[in-house]
Amino acid sequence: METETAAGSTPVIEASTGIEKSRHKSPVLLLLRVHVLQSWRRLSAIREQSKLLSGAIMGFMACYLIFSYWLFAKGLGFIEAFPGLGPLLTERLMFLLFAFLFALLLLSNLVIHYTNLFRNRETQFLVPLPIDNNSIFRWKFIESTALASWAFLFLIAPLLAAYGVKSDASLSFYPFVIALIALFIALPAALGGFCAINLARYMDRRAFQMIAVGLAAAGLLSAFFWLKPEAISEDSLETRVLAVLDRLLHKTKFSQFPFLPSYWLASGAQLWIEGAFMSAGFFLMTLLSYSLFFGAIAFTQLGNYFYDAFSASLSRESVFGQWSWFRQWKAKERARKFEYHPSWVERLARLVPGLRPDTRAVVMKDMLMFWRDTAQWGQTLMLFGLLGVYIINLRHFSRQLSNPFWVHLVSYLNLLACSLNLATLTTRFVYPQFSLEGKRIWMVGMAPMGIVKVARVKYWLACSVSLAVTIGLTALSCYMLQLPWQRTLFFISAITIMTFSLNGLAVGLGLLYPNFKEDNPSKIVSGFGGTFCLILSFLYIVGSVACLAYGAPRSGSVSVGESVMRGMLSWGSFAGMSFLIGYLPMRIGFRKLPNMEI
Amino acid sequence: MIELKQLRKNFGDLKAVDGIELNIPKGQFFVALGPNAAGKTTTIKMICGLIKPTSGHVKVAGFDMDKEPLEARKRMAYVPDFPFLYDKLTPWEFFRFTVELFGMPLEMLETRGMELAERFHLQPYLKKTVESLSHGTRQRVAIVSALLHDPEVFVIDEPMVGLDPQHARIVKDILKERSRAGMTVFLSTHQLSVAEELADRIGIIHRGKLIAEGTVSELQSRMGSEWALEQMFLELTAQEDQAREEESTVSTQS
Repeated sequence: METETAAGSTPVIEASTGIEKSRHKSPVLLLLRVHVLQSWRRLSAIREQSKLLSGAIMGFMACYLIFSYWLFAKGLGFIEAFPGLGPLLTERLMFLLFAFLFALLLLSNLVIHYTNLFRNRETQFLVPLPIDNNSIFRWKFIESTALASWAFLFLIAPLLAAYGVKSDASLSFYPFVIALIALFIALPAALGGFCAINLARYMDRRAFQMIAVGLAAAGLLSAFFWLKPEAISEDSLETRVLAVLDRLLHKTKFSQFPFLPSYWLASGAQLWIEGAFMSAGFFLMTLLSYSLFFGAIAFTQLGNYFYDAFSASLSRESVFGQWSWFRQWKAKERARKFEYHPSWVERLARLVPGLRPDTRAVVMKDMLMFWRDTAQWGQTLMLFGLLGVYIINLRHFSRQLSNPFWVHLVSYLNLLACSLNLATLTTRFVYPQFSLEGKRIWMVGMAPMGIVKVARVKYWLACSVSLAVTIGLTALSCYMLQLPWQRTLFFISAITIMTFSLNGLAVGLGLLYPNFKEDNPSKIVSGFGGTFCLILSFLYIVGSVACLAYGAPRSGSVSVGESVMRGMLSWGSFAGMSFLIGYLPMRIGFRKLPNMEI
Repeated sequence: MIELKQLRKNFGDLKAVDGIELNIPKGQFFVALGPNAAGKTTTIKMICGLIKPTSGHVKVAGFDMDKEPLEARKRMAYVPDFPFLYDKLTPWEFFRFTVELFGMPLEMLETRGMELAERFHLQPYLKKTVESLSHGTRQRVAIVSALLHDPEVFVIDEPMVGLDPQHARIVKDILKERSRAGMTVFLSTHQLSVAEELADRIGIIHRGKLIAEGTVSELQSRMGSEWALEQMFLELTAQEDQAREEESTVSTQS
């Protein structure tokens, strides 16, 4: 409808239609239109900002789809090949997978509904407008469901395609399964929205908190005892395979509880493949009726509850406000005069010999910023925590890991996983550090120590913190795999060099491609420099691990001389790559820094 | 037009708003003054229906905010100190969204929208996305979109933040004009000069209470001298602090 005036400067609404009126369009449709337009412009902006970024995103997406399809197809083929048990195992795996995905989807919906309804500026903008509470909730419900579910769809698309192809499903399977999934995602969305509203409304109530903590503890304990590894003897694996399998499968029986929506989805998909169309249709109808029922409740009844919860969430001083111990503590805090007590980090920093006060001030500032930014330490903890849990659980693979080939392979894969995690964090958090400092140039950059030293301090701090984690995890991995000390030293040396290189790359490219306009680190990372850093880190890691694996000691046919040559060649190329990736960009960046106009 | 009856809001033990009683008639320009954390923004949030009062009532344009919120919201506009705008929309698209949301004929966008955009010197920015605009320009966009539906009640929090003197003048002029034409204005600010210049009535909020209200001359006669507003403000808030301190000493001793 918008055209430009003859002057070409201002847009106007076309007067030719004359009678066009807004006639109270549905607010949900208006909001949908606004957000579609916004999303389209965001997508276009990515393409315009950095071709490398859009190319990398498309490339990674395509690779993910192809690789995961191949992996799922291989996995399903492997399971199907179990004599006499293949179909049973495949069936149980599908039930299990969808049951866990349902739980994840529910959690994802709860978190996203909560943040989108109660911690969102758009909601605060919409509430004082003449839009009824139901319409606001409807829009936020649609938006939250889309945000919470897209990753789920992306995750299961290659799995279902592989399942369909492996089971020789007819073409009708694919639209049928799409319909099943479309109905399926509405249920965790409605439940997640309902739980988010109740969480926001009642989270400061003591009874609510106690019940929530009790339920979480009970859930964790039952999962711990129910899912703990089974000890199986060598003898029982050879003589009592069926009994062992039955025992293991019994523990997964919960995924076939008939009132679980994941059961309806998995059953519907499997029955359609088997040609039992009526039974598959029954599960589709079951999903449809439940989705309509709960969807209708969410769309028509939750608006006013949402508003009550919204007002309550803005009116809360603290979630512990109803506990007398908390109120007493707060009252004491208010009455107490301010006294500065150095934190344990600061006391620790004071112990480091030779650390100048200005350097210590920058280190302390960065450490406190990291600690107080939940996103930073949360993501670090999640990435390395998951890796840690995996490494600790290696002890349960005692049978497989008695084979030197697997020990060897797993030790290199652990090195790969650890360095990939590190690369994610260096790109996400170390790369934007300098750009963010540019915003605070009035304080840090004007200080007598100078911006070059600030950048150096950042590099050494990032290296020290990352080394503490990467060396710890690598040592743990070697210990769990019971590697000899020479191999442990080998892996620790490798991860140390990689840590210095990856941090050097992130700092170097951060200096070379600064962005002083943005306050948001994720936006800084999404530019050309950030994408380039991620891609180079990835290539460096894959190249390094391949080089190191090439020089790994082999038993049998290789002579000592050849083994030494291979070792020298692999470490030589690894060192060369590390120099190129870790040192050069940093060197160029530091040279450019004194003349940089911030 | 705005009626606050024994309005209270508690955040845990903290009394953010403590029994405010206020009646602002049609066409009056009311300016709320107060130090930081006095309860001004909390009061505004209750007037706009963002939060519910712990007790008491809010009526806007004759409609109870608790019982008939939609009727009240249709007749009012609210501009916060840091207004939300959709980053990837242009100001013109945002105005259109507002016009449609309030169910106005789209022709109004061409007439009233263009007139306001011209007055606020927004023409060069109408085709740029909001994300590329400065804070002051965004503030102007928010004010224009709030004025588009010709509200009966206009609530604005710290309107001068980020505005250059030229545009601050325009905002003052337009709000005063509209107020003379019958729009009730509730403006919260720290700038005493704005209050002195624009207000028909001034209210001083401190520690959640409306400690004084009236025209400048009424406040002066209450203080018993012809002090400037700044001096009166400092004196009144200091008196209130002293009274509180004495009260808490007495309660501790007893």
